[in-house]
Amino acid sequence: MTAHPVEVGWLDARETVTRIELAQACGMTEAEIAELVEYGALRALPATGAEPVFSAECLPAMRRAGRLRRDFDLDLFAVALLLEYLNRIDQLERQVRSLQAHVPFHAPAVHREGPQPWREPHG
Amino acid sequence: MKYKDYYAALGVPREADAEQIKRAYRKLAREHHPDVCAAPEAEARFKDIAEAYQTLRDPDKRAAYDELGRRPAGEEFAPPPQWAREFAGGAGSFDEVDLADLLAAFGRGRHRGAHQGSVPVRGRDHETAVRISLEDAHRGARLNLQLADEQGGARTLEVTIPPGASEGQRLRLRGRGGKGRHGGGDGDIYLHITLAPHPVFRADGHDLHLDLALAPWEAALGAEVEVPTLDGPVLLKVPAGTRAGRKLRLRARGLANGRGGRGDLYAVVHVDVPGTLTPRERELFQELATASRFDPRAVAAKGGAS
Repeated sequence: MTAHPVEVGWLDARETVTRIELAQACGMTEAEIAELVEYGALRALPATGAEPVFSAECLPAMRRAGRLRRDFDLDLFAVALLLEYLNRIDQLERQVRSLQAHVPFHAPAVHREGPQPWREPHG
Repeated sequence: MKYKDYYAALGVPREADAEQIKRAYRKLAREHHPDVCAAPEAEARFKDIAEAYQTLRDPDKRAAYDELGRRPAGEEFAPPPQWAREFAGGAGSFDEVDLADLLAAFGRGRHRGAHQGSVPVRGRDHETAVRISLEDAHRGARLNLQLADEQGGARTLEVTIPPGASEGQRLRLRGRGGKGRHGGGDGDIYLHITLAPHPVFRADGHDLHLDLALAPWEAALGAEVEVPTLDGPVLLKVPAGTRAGRKLRLRARGLANGRGGRGDLYAVVHVDVPGTLTPRERELFQELATASRFDPRAVAAKGGAS
C-alpha cells in the first residue's frame, strides 16, 4: 500500500507533545490548553525551552475529554473536572488489571463484572 | 440538495431560544451518545442530533438556515443563488453538497466572504483497538489495519508494532489518518492495544506471572523444576521450605519493555496434593502426620486469640 515506513509513537512518558500538537489532537485551541493547565487539570513538563511540552501520556484522556466536550457542549471548567476523573479511572483500571495478574488460575472464580443479578430462591 | 429539519431533530419549536436548544440537545445527546447507548442506530441518530445542534447553536448558521424557510424533511431544494457566490466562489452546483457542509461555511464567517475552498482542513483522526498475543507484544508484530476512509471505502495499512507493548498501551501513527485538504495536515491513527489472555502467563505491565504447582515434598525439601518462559523452558531452583503463595522471581524473563530491558517473571507457588493416594502414599503421609509437630494454623490461632 505504502512505500514509507509508518512512524509509530508510544503514547507514554517516553514521548512529548507540544502545546500546538496537543491542541490539534484534541480539537482545542492553544489558549484552551493553557487554561486547562491553569485549572491544574493538565501539567506541562519542567520546561527546557520557552515552549511548554507535555508527556504524550496525557493524549488519550485529552482526546476523550475533547470529544465529550464537543458531543455535550461542555464548558472548559467542566472539561478540567472531567479530565481528572478520566485520569483517575484510567489509573484504577490499571490497578485492577495489575491485581488480576496476581489472582492465580486455581483460585476460586472471582466475579469481575460487578454484582450478580439477585434471584429469588424457589420457595 | 436535501432539506433537513434541524428543529424537528432536536424536538424544539422554531422560535426556541439558545438555552432551550442547548438543553434539548444535551438531553438527546446523553440518551443517544455511542458511549452510553449500545443500540445499533445510536451512532447515526447521534450524528443527526449533533449536526442539527452545530447549526442551531451558531447565530450565523441558524440565520442562514432559517432563510431556507420551512420545508418537509428530505425535500430536494436549491439554495438561494447568492449562496453560490459566498460558498464556492460562484462556481459549481450544490447537487453534491451536504447541507451541513454548506452551513459550516457560513459559520466560518459569511460576512468575510470566506470560501470553503480556501480553508485548510486537517485530515480525520482514526481510533482503533487491536488485540495482540503476549508473544507479539514481546517480539513485535506486523498487523494489517482495516480503515474506513472519508468516501466510505476501505483501505488496508500495514503497521509494525515495535517490541515492548503492554496491556492498554496506546500508539500513534502520525499522518496515517485521513488526508488533509487545502493545505491542512493529514490526520493520525490512534491504536489502543490489548493483550489476548494467555493460557500460562498473566501480564502485569511488563512483568509476567505464572502458577507453579509443587508437590508437598518438593515445597518442603526444595527441588529443581522446569518452568515455561517466553524463551522456552528453564530450570528453576525451588528452595527448601517454600510456602504456598511465595513468588519466585526469574529476573528479566518477562516482556520486552521497548527500552532495551525486560520485565521479570514471577512463578507463584501453590502446593498441590494427590487427589487419591496409593496405599503406600497413605502410609507415608500417616507416618509423617504422626511424626511431625508442624502446625500450619499455629499463627492464625494466636492471631485470633489476641
